[in-house]
Amino acid sequence: MDFSFSEQQQDVQNLARQILTEEVSAERQDVVDQQPDRFDKALWAKLAEAGLLGVSIAEKNGGMGFNFTELCFFIEEAGRTVAPIPVIPVLVSAALPIQQFGSVEQQRRLLQPLASGKTLITTAFMEPMGEDPATPLTQARPQGAGYVVNGVKTAVPLAHLSERVLISAKTDNGVVALMINPRAEGVTLVPLKVTSGEPQSEMRLENVLVATCDVLAGPEQGGELMTWAAQRTIVAYAAMQVGVSDKSMRMTASYTAERQQFGVPIATFQAVGHRAANCFIDVECLKLTAYQAASLLEADVDASTEVEIAKVWAGDVGHRVSFASQHLHGGIGIDKDYPLWRYCLWARHIELTLGSSASTLAKLGEKIAKGEAYVS
Amino acid sequence: MKVEFTPEQEALRTELRAYFDELMTPELRAEVDATPGEGGGELFWQAMDKLGKDGWIGVGWSKERGGRGMTAFEQMIFIEEVMRAGFPFPFLTTESVGPILADNASERMRDLLVPKILEGKLIMAIAYSEPGSGTDLASLTTTAIRDGDEWVIKGQKIFTSLAQHADYVWIAARTNQDPAVKKHKGISIFLVPTTAEGYDRTPIHTLGDVTTNATYYDNVRIPADHLVGELDAGWKLITSQLNRERLSLVNCGPVSQLLNETMQWADKNHYTNGKRVLDEPWVQMNLAKVRVGIEALKLMCYKQAWSITNDKLEMADASAAKVYGTEFFIEAYRLLAEVLGQVANEHLDSKGVQLRGRLEMMYRTASIITFGGGANEIQRDIISAAGLWMPRASR
Ligand SMILES: Cc1cc2nc3c(=O)[nH]c(=O)nc-3n(C[C@H](O)[C@H](O)[C@H](O)COP(=O)(O)OP(=O)(O)OC[C@H]3O[C@@H](n4cnc5c(N)ncnc54)[C@H](O)[C@@H]3O)c2cc1C
Repeated sequence: MDFSFSEQQQDVQNLARQILTEEVSAERQDVVDQQPDRFDKALWAKLAEAGLLGVSIAEKNGGMGFNFTELCFFIEEAGRTVAPIPVIPVLVSAALPIQQFGSVEQQRRLLQPLASGKTLITTAFMEPMGEDPATPLTQARPQGAGYVVNGVKTAVPLAHLSERVLISAKTDNGVVALMINPRAEGVTLVPLKVTSGEPQSEMRLENVLVATCDVLAGPEQGGELMTWAAQRTIVAYAAMQVGVSDKSMRMTASYTAERQQFGVPIATFQAVGHRAANCFIDVECLKLTAYQAASLLEADVDASTEVEIAKVWAGDVGHRVSFASQHLHGGIGIDKDYPLWRYCLWARHIELTLGSSASTLAKLGEKIAKGEAYVS
Repeated sequence: MKVEFTPEQEALRTELRAYFDELMTPELRAEVDATPGEGGGELFWQAMDKLGKDGWIGVGWSKERGGRGMTAFEQMIFIEEVMRAGFPFPFLTTESVGPILADNASERMRDLLVPKILEGKLIMAIAYSEPGSGTDLASLTTTAIRDGDEWVIKGQKIFTSLAQHADYVWIAARTNQDPAVKKHKGISIFLVPTTAEGYDRTPIHTLGDVTTNATYYDNVRIPADHLVGELDAGWKLITSQLNRERLSLVNCGPVSQLLNETMQWADKNHYTNGKRVLDEPWVQMNLAKVRVGIEALKLMCYKQAWSITNDKLEMADASAAKVYGTEFFIEAYRLLAEVLGQVANEHLDSKGVQLRGRLEMMYRTASIITFGGGANEIQRDIISAAGLWMPRASR
C-alpha cells in the first residue's frame, strides 16, 4: 500500500497549479463571464503550450504519455481555481476513449490537434431523462459503412465550438459510439443556460449522416466504450470536486480567521471551527475515495463499485462543504464580488452530472442485492 | 497512490483470518460474549496463552523487545482481524501501553513485565480519568509523594477499565504541586500492583454491559522504581499512548464484518409477504450507504497506518479518522439495525437472536468512543487548528 504520489504526478500538479493560479484571477474570470461563452481560450492555449492538455495522451499522438492520475491532478487544480475551461468533456470524456478505442488514423487525426489546443472535441453523455451513455434512446441506422442518427442529447458542453461531439446511439445490434460534426446537416444546437455558467447546448439530431471515419466503435464495442468513458468521467469530476471543495473550505478557514465579531476572530467560536473541521473530514473522505478509484482505473482493474463510491462522496461532500462555506462566510459568501460563489455553483454542477448521490446509491444497492459488493 | 495490499500483507490477513476462525471455538465465543469486550475468563486466558506461544502478541514490537518487528501497517491488519473475530484482545496493554512501558520503565520493571505481556499473562488497566477530570485530563488531583524509597499514591480514579483482572494499573498522578508549574508539566506515570495495600476498586456497570471500575488509592505505597519514565514528564507518555490507541478505536474490521453478515442475513430472510429482505429498495439504500461509508473509513485507516509506518502522521488526519470513524459507526449500526428490524433489539442471550447479538450490542455501546479516547469536540479543535490553521479560543 502506498498513499504517496510519484514525483511525476507531483510535477504535473505543481505545473498545473502554477499556471492556473497565475492565470485565473477574479478579474480575468469577470472578463470571461462577460463573453458570450464561459471559455478562456487564451488560458487553454497556455495550457496546451505547457503540454498539460496532452498529459495523458500518448507521445506518438502529441502528448506527454502520462497516466490517468496525472490527468486527475491537473483536473483537481482546475477545480481549485474553477477555471473556465472544458477539461473534463474534452480531455477525459472525449480524448481518453478515442485513444483507447479509436483506430490509428482516428487517433492521429483527432488527438494531435486536441493536445495542441487547436481543436476541441466534446462529449454528449446525457439525454433528457437519461444519465447513462451506455443505454441511449438516440437511434442510429446503418447506412453504407456509416450511420444515420436521430435523437436528442442534452447538457453538451461547448458543442458549438467543437470539431466533433462524441455520442452514443443504439442500433438493432447494440450501442455505437459516433463522432458528430455539430455543423453537419440535421444538427440543431439550442443554447442552455445552466447553474455553473458552462456553455452547454441541447443537441437535436435529425437524420444526421455520420461517415465511417467518424465511427469510433461499432455495436460490438460501443456500450463497453461508453461505460469505460463514463467511469473515467465520473472519477475526473470527483477529482475536480476535491479541488473545488478543498479550496472553498480553505477560503472559509482564512476568512473566519480574519473576520472579527464580538471582538474576536469568528474562527475561535467552536461552532464555527467544528463546522470547518467537518468539512476537512469530508474532503479527506472524498480525496481518498476519488484517488483510489483513479488508481484502480489506471491499473485497468474492475472498479465499478469504487467509482460509484467516489461519485456518492463527490455529490455529498460538494453539497455539504459548499453550504457550510457559504454559511460561515455570512453575507460575503454569496456576494459576486467575492470568489466563493463560483465554487458553490461548480460543486452543484458536479453533484448532478452523470447521476446524483441518491441514484448512485440505488445502483450500488442493486449490486449489493446481487451479492456483488461485499467488503473484503 | 496504490491501495492494494502487498502479497505478503494479503497472506498475513488470510493467515490471521483462518487462525482466529479456529481460535474462536463456540465455547470461547460463549464465554467472551457473556462479558463483552472484557475477557478475563478461563478460556480467554487459555487463548491468550496460545496467542503468546504462537507469537501473535506484540506484532508491531521490535524484535529486540521480543516482538515480530512488523510495521504499524501489519499491526493494523492484525488488530482488524482480532476485532473482526470478536476476541477481546487486550491491545491497550499489548500494543499501546506495552511498547511505551518497554521503552520507559525502569530496567527491573521492564524485565519483569515485558515478557509476561508478550506471553499473554499480564494485563494492565489505565487510570487517567478521575471524577473531576475527564476531558480536562491535566486537571487530575491524585497525588504521588515521595517517601524514602517509596512513592505514596493517594486519590481516586474512575472508569479504570479491566482493573477487575489486571495485574497492574498504569496510573497518572500529580507529582508537582507548584502552582507556577503548568498543570500538564507536573504529572508522572506509575505502575501500581493491584495487590498493593490501600488499593481498592468497585465495579461500574455500563449500558453496554461492559463493566468498568472506580479505583481507590488510600496511601498506596509502591517502590521507587515503579515510576515510568522521568519525573513530571508523564504527559508525553500519556499523549503517545493515546495516539497509539486511537487507530485501534476506529478500526473498520467489526463494522465490515457486520455489513457482510447483514447482507447475507437480508439475502436469506423473507418478509411475511414472501419478499426477500434484500429486494426492498430502502434496504438496498441503507446497505449502500454503509458500504460507501466503510470504504472511506478503510482508506483513512490504511492511510494512517501507512503514515505511521513512514513517519508521516499528521495530527489533523489522525483526529479526522477518529471523529469520522466513531460517528460513522453509530450511523452504520443504525442503518444496519433498521434492516434487521425489531430483532436488532434482541439481546445476545435472547432466544431468536440474529448475528449473535453483535449488532444489538455494538449499537448499544457505540457511543463510548465518541467522547472516550479524546472527546470529538477536542479532535475537531485539533483539526481546525492543525489542519486548517484556524485560531482557537484560549483555554
Ligand atoms: C466504558 C468506559 C471505559 C473507560 N475506560 C477508561 C480507562 O480505562 N481509563 C481511563 O482513564 N478512562 C476511561 N474512560 C473514561 C473516558 O476516557 C472519559 O469518559 C472521557 O475522557 C471523557 O471524560 P468525561 O466522561 O468526564 O466527560 P467530560 O469531560 O465531562 O465531557 C463531557 C462532554 O462535554 C463536552 N466537552 C468537554 N470539554 C469540552 C471542550 N473543551 N470543548 C467542547 N466540548 C467539551 C464533550 O462533548 C464531552 O464529551 C472510560 C469511559 C467509559 C465510559
